[in-house]
Amino acid sequence: MLPQIAEIQSRLERQHYVTDRAIATTVYLAMELRKPVLIEGQAGVGKTEIAKVLAASLETELIRLQCYEGLDASSALYEWNYPKQMLHIRLQEAAHVEGRSVRQAEAEIFSEPYLLQRPLLRAISHPDRAPVLLIDEVDRADEEFEAFLLEVLSDFQVTIPELGTVKAEHRPYVVLTSNRTRELSDALKRRCLYLWIDYPDFEKEVRIIESKVEGINHHLAEQVAGFMQVVRRVRLGKTPGMAESIDWAMSLMALHADHLEPEAVNATLGAILKDRDDVNRLSGTRAETIISEIGRLDPKDLATAAPSIAQRIDKELAPRS
Amino acid sequence: MGTPRPQARHADLQRNILGFCRLLRERELLVSPSEVIDALRTANAVDLGDRQELKVALRSVLTSKPEDIPVYDWTFEEFWRSAPPERVEERVEDSQVQSDPNASQGDDSEPQPAEGDDDSSEATEELEMPLYSPVETLAGRDFSAFAADDMAEIARAILVVAKRLATRESRRYRATRRGSAIDLRRTMRRNIKYGGTVIELARKARKIRKPRIVLICDVSRSMDTYSRFLLQFLYAMQNTLGRVESFVFSTRLTRVTEYFHSGDIHQALDRIAAEVPDWSGGTRIGQSLKSFNDDWSLRLLNKHTVLIIMSDGLDTGDASVLELEMERLQKRAGKVIWLNPLLGNEDYRPLARGMSAALPHVDLFASAHNLASLQALGRHLVV
Repeated sequence: MLPQIAEIQSRLERQHYVTDRAIATTVYLAMELRKPVLIEGQAGVGKTEIAKVLAASLETELIRLQCYEGLDASSALYEWNYPKQMLHIRLQEAAHVEGRSVRQAEAEIFSEPYLLQRPLLRAISHPDRAPVLLIDEVDRADEEFEAFLLEVLSDFQVTIPELGTVKAEHRPYVVLTSNRTRELSDALKRRCLYLWIDYPDFEKEVRIIESKVEGINHHLAEQVAGFMQVVRRVRLGKTPGMAESIDWAMSLMALHADHLEPEAVNATLGAILKDRDDVNRLSGTRAETIISEIGRLDPKDLATAAPSIAQRIDKELAPRS
Repeated sequence: MGTPRPQARHADLQRNILGFCRLLRERELLVSPSEVIDALRTANAVDLGDRQELKVALRSVLTSKPEDIPVYDWTFEEFWRSAPPERVEERVEDSQVQSDPNASQGDDSEPQPAEGDDDSSEATEELEMPLYSPVETLAGRDFSAFAADDMAEIARAILVVAKRLATRESRRYRATRRGSAIDLRRTMRRNIKYGGTVIELARKARKIRKPRIVLICDVSRSMDTYSRFLLQFLYAMQNTLGRVESFVFSTRLTRVTEYFHSGDIHQALDRIAAEVPDWSGGTRIGQSLKSFNDDWSLRLLNKHTVLIIMSDGLDTGDASVLELEMERLQKRAGKVIWLNPLLGNEDYRPLARGMSAALPHVDLFASAHNLASLQALGRHLVV
């Protein structure tokens, strides 16, 4: 491994982001080739987190653009502060300021103080160092917006007709995330490095829980991770992600549990299952089955046993559907 | 890398990367010249002695969606074999020596052991002759006429066809979007803050609703092959379509939607085949549709849903039940499509009791026995 990649990995880990080689390598390439990174994956695998951690480790600002359906260029880039402009004009009228041309008055209200910078413009015009620009859930924005984004990401400059062209002095590090509710355009994908993040495997999940949940003992972390590995393989309406694992581990800690036992699990199942049907399916005997299976196994076998336990649970559930 | 001829090595590496990119492009990955340039830059930026590093680094440049990843991984292993990159370079050098005597400088390329030679000729052959056969030659053949060995190939062809359809559909969406109109109500409201002077216009675009697909697939013995391919096809098109809900039945209905959440369709299919209790058993269409109507249709069917039933209609149950249930389905769904692979056979007439009972309540009766007919089906999946 290149020392630079190892360095990135350890920098991310220092920010309590448990990473793997693919992630660290992609982050390194993004910095080296100065290209945006497009991160895709299931909900709750830590896509957004990468941008946050990257900003923290570079000690720079994180600028976030949350996408939504109908997001347009003006709310992403800049807007004129219309009420303030209006107020300014009225005040001038009231004060009867004479001897000023219309042109002067216009120049005054279309100047920096009346400009509302939105995330993209802020990222481009950042004064001292390259910020991290997070364009979150880009799949929720419209295709028109995607085309506009493409333009900004290729030149890192925008033209404001009344003010002139703003060009980035420090090109931001760009991270885009997508939940794949729709396919992004080829042009945008082409512009980006691509990273697919899957649910973590057993070892990684243990490490993540241990780094995020303070004071948790290794045994409980392993049991929680093992349980989650099984649950993610059971057919459910909504598969829980990493955020759920962490919430759950914290809930168990709050109940002073130091290992999984049925009562505590049933009481806290709501932390990982967010659908009534799913809770009904797993609570009670099925949860107990998983706990006892996990309890029987040696930690090093937990990683491989999850699929077969999940299959058994699925079989038990099958007659109901 | 500490080699005697860094220049030559560099050129070989370039050639290898170009070859690798070409191979990926043949396998329908999105690899344009700009990706190739990035791949070359990447190769210069990472530790070439570290195979894993090269693999993950190039992967972030050369893939662009999760479906690409297995193809990439498998192509990488195939192209770079199990040797570290330096060795691969040597191999290309060797094959160069074999084919072009002028290129021989023979100072550091020691004669390889026999095994290595074999490998190298294989590797270059693969580059000249893509393993991938064009879709067209496969399109007209009935799925059941393929040998088990060809299955992977058809599966790949299905992906390609689905991908082409998906692109076409999304282009059409964009064109209709442009025809947007002014939304008076929202315009008035938005401009209240300007004292009623109309400054901003609110526009409305025709909202495009992706059709939801509900698939009910017969997996009795006679239908196994066709069902598999239909499932693969629909899931490959999932980005253009709305959500796909799927059920399988032979004697009993089972919901299998969640199996497909894992991403790997082949794994999902194998799991379903292993776990669904009566996969490849007999058929009870009427009963299965009844349990769908009772348990699921309220939740899943509306006027924007395309319901696809795939079955040969050879029902062992009561035909009047089937007719009644079909009527119920047609009332709720936007469109009912019945796919019968037997229709691909010219001599077939839908005389089976079940089939003739169902037909009056079907909007589209089609076959799905080969690639061409799947492609045709793609065009009907819009309500």
